Amino acid sequence: MTTRAEFLSGLRREMAKTRGLFEARTAERPPDADLVFETVKRQMAERWPQALERFQAEFERVAGVFHRVARLEDVPDVVRAIAREKQASRVLSWHPDALGLDLRQSLGGEGLSVTLAPDDDPDGEARRVHREAAAEAEIGVTGTDWALAETGTLILVSGRGRPRSTSLLPTTHVAVFDRHQLLESLEQVGSMLEALHADPARRMSGAVINFITGPSRTADIELTLTRGVHGPKDVHAIFVEGR
Amino acid sequence: MSETQLRTPFPQRAHAALGDAHLQEALTIATTKFIGLRKESFAGYPAGEALRDRARAIKEATLQRLDQHLERLADNIERLGGHVHWAATGDEARDIILRLCRDRGVRMAVKSKSMATEEIDLNEALEAAGVKPVETDLGEYIIQLAHEKPSHIIAPAIHKTKGQVADLFSKELGGRFEADPEVLTAVARKELRQKFLEADMGITGANFAVAETGTIVLVTNEGNGRMVTSLPRIHVAVMGMEKVIPTMTDLMIFLSILARSATGQKLSSYTTLVRGPRQPGEVEGPEELHLILMDNGRMRQVAGTLREALYCLRCGACLNVCPVYRQIGGHAYGYTYPGPIGILLTAMLEGTGAVKDLAHASSLCGACKDVCPVRIDIPRMLVELREQVDREKIAPWGERMLFGLARRAMASSALFRLGARLGRLAQRPFVRNGRLQGLPFFFGQWTRTRDLPPVAARTFSERWKDLERP
Repeated sequence: MTTRAEFLSGLRREMAKTRGLFEARTAERPPDADLVFETVKRQMAERWPQALERFQAEFERVAGVFHRVARLEDVPDVVRAIAREKQASRVLSWHPDALGLDLRQSLGGEGLSVTLAPDDDPDGEARRVHREAAAEAEIGVTGTDWALAETGTLILVSGRGRPRSTSLLPTTHVAVFDRHQLLESLEQVGSMLEALHADPARRMSGAVINFITGPSRTADIELTLTRGVHGPKDVHAIFVEGR
Repeated sequence: MSETQLRTPFPQRAHAALGDAHLQEALTIATTKFIGLRKESFAGYPAGEALRDRARAIKEATLQRLDQHLERLADNIERLGGHVHWAATGDEARDIILRLCRDRGVRMAVKSKSMATEEIDLNEALEAAGVKPVETDLGEYIIQLAHEKPSHIIAPAIHKTKGQVADLFSKELGGRFEADPEVLTAVARKELRQKFLEADMGITGANFAVAETGTIVLVTNEGNGRMVTSLPRIHVAVMGMEKVIPTMTDLMIFLSILARSATGQKLSSYTTLVRGPRQPGEVEGPEELHLILMDNGRMRQVAGTLREALYCLRCGACLNVCPVYRQIGGHAYGYTYPGPIGILLTAMLEGTGAVKDLAHASSLCGACKDVCPVRIDIPRMLVELREQVDREKIAPWGERMLFGLARRAMASSALFRLGARLGRLAQRPFVRNGRLQGLPFFFGQWTRTRDLPPVAARTFSERWKDLERP
């Protein structure tokens, strides 16, 4: 078996043989991640209306369904309407602390069964139970960490109370966001990710960050575009105005 | 590709592909569509050209400090609770995975599309060891059921019709399925969903790995990359060592051009950043994460003629525009990586001997270089490969003898004049419509697929003498 030391010393031997390389640099990183983080926040506090417009256009271009509600309390109505349209009864949701609202309370009594993600340290049994519920669920409701206008992308960071599969296993994914999550460009996303990794206080708890740009799609059979091959067939984004 | 097919010489494989009318049609439709999508995407993205230059510079800069970036990546992955393995060869990479399977009682492994695992023939090895590998990218799944190999880096089953897929599914999965992509996709969803939930191991490649944060990046449209990294208890990623990039800021630059080059999308449906196994508080995710960093011929090119091929992002754009690929498709190349970049990668992995014919399977038109997101100078390296093939004396003897004669004739004006005079006489029976065609003996190899201008009735130097006399 090749060891790390053997592998790297072999590589260094080859690197030493290179001649006449042109000077090349990697991308300039934000000098102070925190500062950039704050700058982006400030920029977006002013520019979010244009970003929202762009987000909606791009999100719809990738077959996303956009909703706009006045208050967070209106979100359950939208979920209810989607469930009715899909004739779905099983809803999976991020934990209320991660989502900002308790869907079990607002939807539970209406023939919809709502499973909430646990937010304690789940043991093996809790994980098994959640997985079974996730595999059965028809609608998955999540929050959003960033909504990227340039590409109509929802960016979700996994973690405690925010399982990665809520946006994957159900055939319909519903993501909730507000103006504080809007970003304009991939470049800004890069800055936010640098900050996220640099600052222990902002350190993500989970292992996965997903960029979601529209529904799951394939064109593998005769280049015919088909939705929902493994992940959701439909993706909804609900913008909450007053938050 | 079976062993016998591989042993068939390239000209025969290419000839067979040229005779396959259905393949020709599928290739034309697919490559034309991809070219259009890419073009449209970059046309609406003025920043794209500058980003391509930056992406190229990042690749070069990363190579210049590759050892440091790999160390940093490994340190960070281990800090997050993952394991890093170093594989000098494909055999070694395979053995690492087989040992993991054995030690952990793995019976089924789900895979998301990965050229790196194709490169090491992982599926065959897993099967032989009693582990069932299941490809989950729809195209790859079709190919696996049909016992074939992918024909395009990003559209592995473009050579199959929906009718063929329906027949295949009906036969392999039991049932009678309509030849409708929508229906067939739903069938695959149901079938594969079960596999995701049952599998013990998820195997992926890696589009990138970010050294600074220890992040493995997967780009997919179907979501199978997410399934494979979320549901099974073990995640194994196999990655060529050149795929490491320094930072998240760098990653954003690559993401902004990768999907545009491949499918014309701004971003693929899913870009998944995986940082270690399941973290405390998470309800799902694998218990174990293993990253296999693979050399397999790449290392000796760090200072070799194919260095620039180490920039490759595997987007497939160069395949679509290549006039040779568009005619013969992926299978005719005979190795894991088809198309112009595939010839270079084949030489890298298998040695120059493997490409003695393939090195010539290019018109050197430069279309590949024009569309490459990191502007890899593929034609230059193809010419260098041809030179190497000649130097290592692995070209057919007839060809070498002819070029040897030509070299001598061109180095001496007397011989050159004599040659022109002889040629004028000897060529007479073979000049048709002003072109030299259908030459006898082994010269025929050359003129079977091309013609040549005949030796002129009067050479340039003969005419020059006349012109000098006013």
